[in-house]
Amino acid sequence: MADMPSKGDRLFRSIQAAKPQLVTGVPDGMLSQTIMLCEATPDFPYIGCAREEECIGVASGAAMAGERAIVMVQNAGLLNSLGAFATMGLRYGLPFVVIVTNRGALADPNGYDIEKREAFDAGVRPMARVFDFDAADLPDDLIPAAFKWAEAARKPVILALEKRLGSGEGAAA
Amino acid sequence: MSEPMNTQSNLPSQQDAISAALSLYPARPFAVSDIGSQTGWLKAAGHDPRNLYVSGPMGLATSVALGLAAVRPESQVLAIAGDGALAMNLTSLATIAGAKPKNLAILLVDNRIYEFTNSVPTPTRDLDWLAVGRAFFGEACVRLSELTAERWAGVARPAMIVADVAPAPGKPPALGLTPAMIRAEFLGASRKQALLVR
Repeated sequence: MADMPSKGDRLFRSIQAAKPQLVTGVPDGMLSQTIMLCEATPDFPYIGCAREEECIGVASGAAMAGERAIVMVQNAGLLNSLGAFATMGLRYGLPFVVIVTNRGALADPNGYDIEKREAFDAGVRPMARVFDFDAADLPDDLIPAAFKWAEAARKPVILALEKRLGSGEGAAA
Repeated sequence: MSEPMNTQSNLPSQQDAISAALSLYPARPFAVSDIGSQTGWLKAAGHDPRNLYVSGPMGLATSVALGLAAVRPESQVLAIAGDGALAMNLTSLATIAGAKPKNLAILLVDNRIYEFTNSVPTPTRDLDWLAVGRAFFGEACVRLSELTAERWAGVARPAMIVADVAPAPGKPPALGLTPAMIRAEFLGASRKQALLVR
């Protein structure tokens, strides 16, 4: 029996399937394996940014040129970037995909993450379309489907990945 | 240290500095300008479909330019940032230095004030921007006043150009373009450029 792909590998394969021209991000523990795979692939450049707001800018530059771009950040990082998300992504109608690890879930109760999640719910959901997923059980066609939605809607889309109770080991880190 | 404020009357305008930097290239580069002054003065220097007028938070032009440079590696990209703007996204210099794009340069236009206020000084007004740029880009950080097209052709990328400019007596002309117009025109120019280099 073939080895089951890990969660990070599964997300990476879904990213690959969407044929992005650029992936950018700031690490979160739940994304580290995927980011390492993105760094290693020759299929597209991965730009590691010092700060999450830069990622929104980088993705916007690619999307302005008509190319597919993906952002990977933690919920706290997206909260730091809402001005850029609104004035670039929403204002120009740029169909990039933002993968957010939504920390502070019931199965992920670090004390320092709780307010991030509450701020995410209060600040991000009213301004943008967020689709929620179990980080341990991602569909293979997740990222291609997200691009199809964003390109049809002509605006960015946010995929919120979280640890869930009863889904095996949950996401790493 | 930068030049003291009282010698700024001999400095070029922001519009002239932008024109001078663009003229260093043998072919017109993509130009990505920060919101406000840089966008207004870039348009005043000459509208071109390859101009990307950024409406995002101050300072984001360098990051937007990095993303553009990554997906158009055969084309030159010039990010245009003011001193107040770049100070708001100083970390982008670290990111760009790490990403090492071979087609990206930053033009810093330093008038030491937030231009739309006409008077409020930036916190970086006494900063040595040449030294800051050299910390990230080494000898590829140069003064505009010392550049010729021939010298610029030999400067490695990523690069940074530091231009001391005079504060403008008034605000730049209004952009007069909607986000949809900017996006559509730039998208067309970007796709045309991509076809040309293939």
